[in-house]
Amino acid sequence: MEYVIESQNLAKTFRSYEKNPGLWGAIRSLWFRPYKENRAVLDFNLQVKPGEMIALLGPNGAGKTTIMKMWTGIIVPSSGQVQVIGHEPWKRDKQFRKRISLVMGQKSQLWWDIPALDSFLLLQKYYEIPDREFKQRLDMLSSLLQVQDKLKIHVRKLSLGERMKLELLASFLHSPDVIFLDEPTIGLDLVAQENIRNFLLDYHKLHKCTIVVTSHYMADVEALCKRLILIIGGTKHFDGPIEQFTQILGKNKIVTFNFSKAIDFKQDLWPDFEPTWNEMGNQVALRVPTEHLKEVTVQILNEFPVSEFSTEKLPIERVMKKILENPSLARPSGHSSA
Amino acid sequence: MKSWGKWSQTIRIWWGQYTAYRINFFLQVIGPVLVFFFVKYSLWREIYKGIGNSADNPVMIGGFTLDSMLQYHGWILVFSMLTQGNANFDLSTDIRLGKISTYLIYPFNFWEYQTAGFFAFQTLEWPVAFFTASILAACNVIYFPTAAALVGVLMLAMFISILQFTLQFLAGLVAFWLEETWVLRVLLNIITTFLSGAVIPLDLFPQTLKSILAYSPFPYMVYYPVKVAMGLHPLEPKVFIILSAWALVFCTFNVMVWRRGLRLYTGAGM
Repeated sequence: MEYVIESQNLAKTFRSYEKNPGLWGAIRSLWFRPYKENRAVLDFNLQVKPGEMIALLGPNGAGKTTIMKMWTGIIVPSSGQVQVIGHEPWKRDKQFRKRISLVMGQKSQLWWDIPALDSFLLLQKYYEIPDREFKQRLDMLSSLLQVQDKLKIHVRKLSLGERMKLELLASFLHSPDVIFLDEPTIGLDLVAQENIRNFLLDYHKLHKCTIVVTSHYMADVEALCKRLILIIGGTKHFDGPIEQFTQILGKNKIVTFNFSKAIDFKQDLWPDFEPTWNEMGNQVALRVPTEHLKEVTVQILNEFPVSEFSTEKLPIERVMKKILENPSLARPSGHSSA
Repeated sequence: MKSWGKWSQTIRIWWGQYTAYRINFFLQVIGPVLVFFFVKYSLWREIYKGIGNSADNPVMIGGFTLDSMLQYHGWILVFSMLTQGNANFDLSTDIRLGKISTYLIYPFNFWEYQTAGFFAFQTLEWPVAFFTASILAACNVIYFPTAAALVGVLMLAMFISILQFTLQFLAGLVAFWLEETWVLRVLLNIITTFLSGAVIPLDLFPQTLKSILAYSPFPYMVYYPVKVAMGLHPLEPKVFIILSAWALVFCTFNVMVWRRGLRLYTGAGM
C-alpha cells in the first residue's frame, strides 16, 4: 500500500440555524429558523505514506478535527473520497476499527468510575489481544509512560496528566497502524507535555506507525512532525516540511539584541524588521531577511551600545501567529507534496 | 468464544459503573416505581372508600375487589422492576453531546455495548425485584403463583424487558434529528404506562379501545403478565411470539434509524 491515508476532494458541510439572543429571539425561533450551511471542509486532498508523522495545523474552526473525524469514521463526508488503510472509514468495518486508534485530548475514552486497568482488560477483549501479548504491551507502555502505579486507581481520581497518559496507553494497546491524536497535550503542564511528546517519539521510533496530530501547541508540532498541513477555512493552505513552513514569511532569522541602556525605538531603522521590545527598552528581537542579516547586524552593532546579541531561526509559533493574523500569507494549495 | 469474552467483560464494566454510586443505583432502581406504587395504592384505597367499600360490603370495580386491585398494582411494582431496564439511560444526550464517538471507534458495536449495559442492569435489578416481591408477599399484598406459573411469568418479564429496551433505544436515536428528546421520551413513557394498564386495569377501558390495543404491544407489557401472575389468565405461548415480533419490529427500526442517523452525526465536543 503506497498511501495509508488518501483524501480526494473531501468535503463536509454542517447545517445549523441562527437564533437571535433574548426572549424574542427564543420565541421567534419556534417558527422561524434561518438555516445556514457551514462548509467545514472543502476540496481537501492529501496523501499520507506509511510511517509518516504529520501535523494538522490551523486556527479554531479551521476544519482539522472534522477531517480527523472523517478519517476515523466518526462522521460521514458530504462528498469526495477518503481511504484509510484501504477502507472507507465511514463504513466502519470492524477490520478497519481494529487497526486505528484515536486519542481525544478534550474527551475521555476511559470509563470514569472504574480503574484504568479494567478499561484496558475490556479493550483487550475488544481488540482480541492474546493474554501474553497484552501483558507484554501493558508492561512496555506503562513503563514508557511511567504509570505502573496508576493502573488500579479510579480514573476520576487521577490528575489530568496521569489520565492523558492512560488515555494514550489505552489507544496504543492494540498496536494500531494509524494513530490519530487530537490535541493530546491540551491543558497539561510543560513537564507533562514533554513526557507525552517523548513517549510518542519513542513509540514511533519503535513501531513505525503512522501518526496524525492536531495541536495548538507549536512545541508538539516541532518536536513530533516533519510534515505540516496548514488548514484555514476548511481548505489546505500549506503541505510540506516544517523547514519550508517557516519560510512562508520569507527566509528570515530572529536576531535579538541586548543594549547596555534603553534605546529610542522610534528611530526609522526598527519598523522594517517587526521589532518586539522589552518593557525597559533595552532589548529587541528583530525579524531580519537572511540576505540582509550581515549588514543590519553590523549597522546596529556600530550605531548602538550592544552588550550581547543572538541569532535564531524564525520560530514556527511566530510564523503561525502571522498567518493567523493574515491568512492570505499562506495561499490555498490543492495538491499534496507527499 | 471471543465474542462472549467481549460481552462478559463489557457487562462487568457496566456493573462497575452502576455500583460505583450505590445510593444513586438503589434510588434509580427502587425510587420511581415505589413512589408510583404508593400513589396508586393510596388513590385506589380512597376510590373504593369513596364508593362505600367496607369489609361487610365489598365493592367490585371492573371485576376487582380492593384487595385484588392492590394485588394488581403490587405485581405491577414487581414487574416494573423486572422489566424497566436501564430506562434512565440517556442515549439522546450521548448523541447530542457527541459522547458516542468513542464507541464508534471500538471494534464492538455501539448497540452491543448498550445491550450489554441493559443485561448488566437487569442482573442487578432482578434480585431487588425478588426482594421487593418477598416483602409484598409477606405483607399479603401479592400472592406467589405456583412454581410453574412463576417460571412462565419470569420468562414473560424477560421478553418484555427486551421489548422495552428496543423501544427506549429507538426513542433515544431520535436525537440524531431532534436536539432535545426528553419531552418525547416522557410522552412515550406516559403513553406506555397508561395503555399497558399500569395505572388503570384494561378491564376498565372501553371495549373498542381494548380491541384496538390488542393489535399493539402495550397490553402484553403490563396488563397481561400481571393477570397471569395473579392466576387470572392462563399463560399462552402465542404471547411470546407477539412480544418477539414487536421486539423484532423495533430492532429493524433501530437499525434503519441508526444508519440514517449516523449520516447526520456531527461528533460534537471533540
